Amino acid sequence: MANYEPKIVGFLCNWCTYAGADLAGTSRMQYPPNMRPIRVMCSGAVDSVYILRALLEGADGVFMGGCHPGDCHYVSGNYKARRRMVLFNSVMKSLGLDTDRVWLRWISAAEGRKFADTITEMTDYLSKKGPSAFKEKWDV
Amino acid sequence: MKGILKVDAKNPEATICNLFARWLKEGRLAAILTPAYSSAGIATVALVSNPEKLSEAAPLLPAMGVNAASIVADIARDASPNAKVGLFLRPCELRAVVELMKLKQVAPESLVLIGADCAGTYKAAGFRNVRGQDADFDNKHVREQSGYAENVNFRTACQMCGHPKPMVFDLAVGFIGMDPDQELWVEAATDKGKVLLEDVDVQAQDEPEKRKKVLESLGAARKAKTAKRIEELDKAMTGPEKLVEYFSDCLNCHNCMKVCPVCYCRECFFDSDTFQRDIGEHVRVSLRKGATRMPSETLLFHLTRMNHMMASCVQCGICEDSCPVTIGLATLFKKVSQNAQKEFDYVSGRSLDEPLPLSTFRESEFLKVGEE
Repeated sequence: MANYEPKIVGFLCNWCTYAGADLAGTSRMQYPPNMRPIRVMCSGAVDSVYILRALLEGADGVFMGGCHPGDCHYVSGNYKARRRMVLFNSVMKSLGLDTDRVWLRWISAAEGRKFADTITEMTDYLSKKGPSAFKEKWDV
Repeated sequence: MKGILKVDAKNPEATICNLFARWLKEGRLAAILTPAYSSAGIATVALVSNPEKLSEAAPLLPAMGVNAASIVADIARDASPNAKVGLFLRPCELRAVVELMKLKQVAPESLVLIGADCAGTYKAAGFRNVRGQDADFDNKHVREQSGYAENVNFRTACQMCGHPKPMVFDLAVGFIGMDPDQELWVEAATDKGKVLLEDVDVQAQDEPEKRKKVLESLGAARKAKTAKRIEELDKAMTGPEKLVEYFSDCLNCHNCMKVCPVCYCRECFFDSDTFQRDIGEHVRVSLRKGATRMPSETLLFHLTRMNHMMASCVQCGICEDSCPVTIGLATLFKKVSQNAQKEFDYVSGRSLDEPLPLSTFRESEFLKVGEE
């Protein structure tokens, strides 16, 4: 596909990763503009349906950012997100769908650098991998 | 307490009904939920309270139109101090009840779980055995299946089922590996179950070797059959293109969700306002790809349902039976749920003490997820 730019939908936890993104911004760190951030209260609040909806509607990747294990503002939301991700990956694998288009990463409010690096890494990865099969598929 | 129950007059089904009658007459149970024939000969489920009406009950009826756990969820969400209801259920129904109890959708206090062996069932749709026409039909099925006989007319899910005997129960009744004209296997696992066996003539003994052997060979045969079916499925359905094709007949009727015993939400998320888009939003979404298939988000529904329910799926396959366009859900859900449950070393309905995979966690698990 000519001029392919991966489109990434990001779900960032309010307490850690969103603040990490803020830090990256206020510190003027450069990272590709391919990720559209959506602020959520907790990574544990992101139901699989939102990830799936983004993918089926043509996103090339979905990024989920949460607090490091043990640091969840709600004590255990990220542990639950982690289990849900295991189940999600298992279902995707069983159906023969890509499991490498959805990235879950723990990024704290102090890790602006890690945030910028992760988004750069994911954008590069998806640029090389190519567009999602659902991108042009209208009849899903 | 476990042992052998003598069968009266070569009629295992009547023997079980006689037990029912005793429990009702003596007030040990207020009512019993059991498979039954309607007057038109349709396989249905009855809540029997009057022992005289037990003539309608058919506990060993080998046809299934509904997973009775759905009924239990409807009627037993809360306990009642006056009701002690016996549930005479197939193993897959029992496993779904266990999942529902863990999901806090069924209150166990009023219920006595009575499980029966099941070697397989026919689809209820099209199944007719008008009462009196073949009074021995259920017993014949039990005789034939007591030694395990492959039957390609069974429901798809039954042909793959590796759980022919109940896992969690108060009282279990078994015919597999027995001579059902002579004796049945009974086992009380709890006090509730023991109450039902009080003063019943049970010859105490350990599970017969023959029964264990037949159950084992049945398990092995079903495992092989499952592997074969999944292999065929993998040929027909893997990857985005084939997945879309596999579900392309879907009418978005949501029957599969409505009949699913473990799909427990009172209002499905997909019926909520989240999915009510106005015409302007539909156009906006359509602009992304130039066109949207209508009704929209049918595949999203199935994929989400898999993510929500696979940890608790009991692989009863009632979803497939309810599908008006015959999408092969039984084998697909068997595969997806088996794989998903394996991740958490979980088997749906195996135990009341094992927490649901998505309601628990350990700090030191899946350490790579989120790190790379």
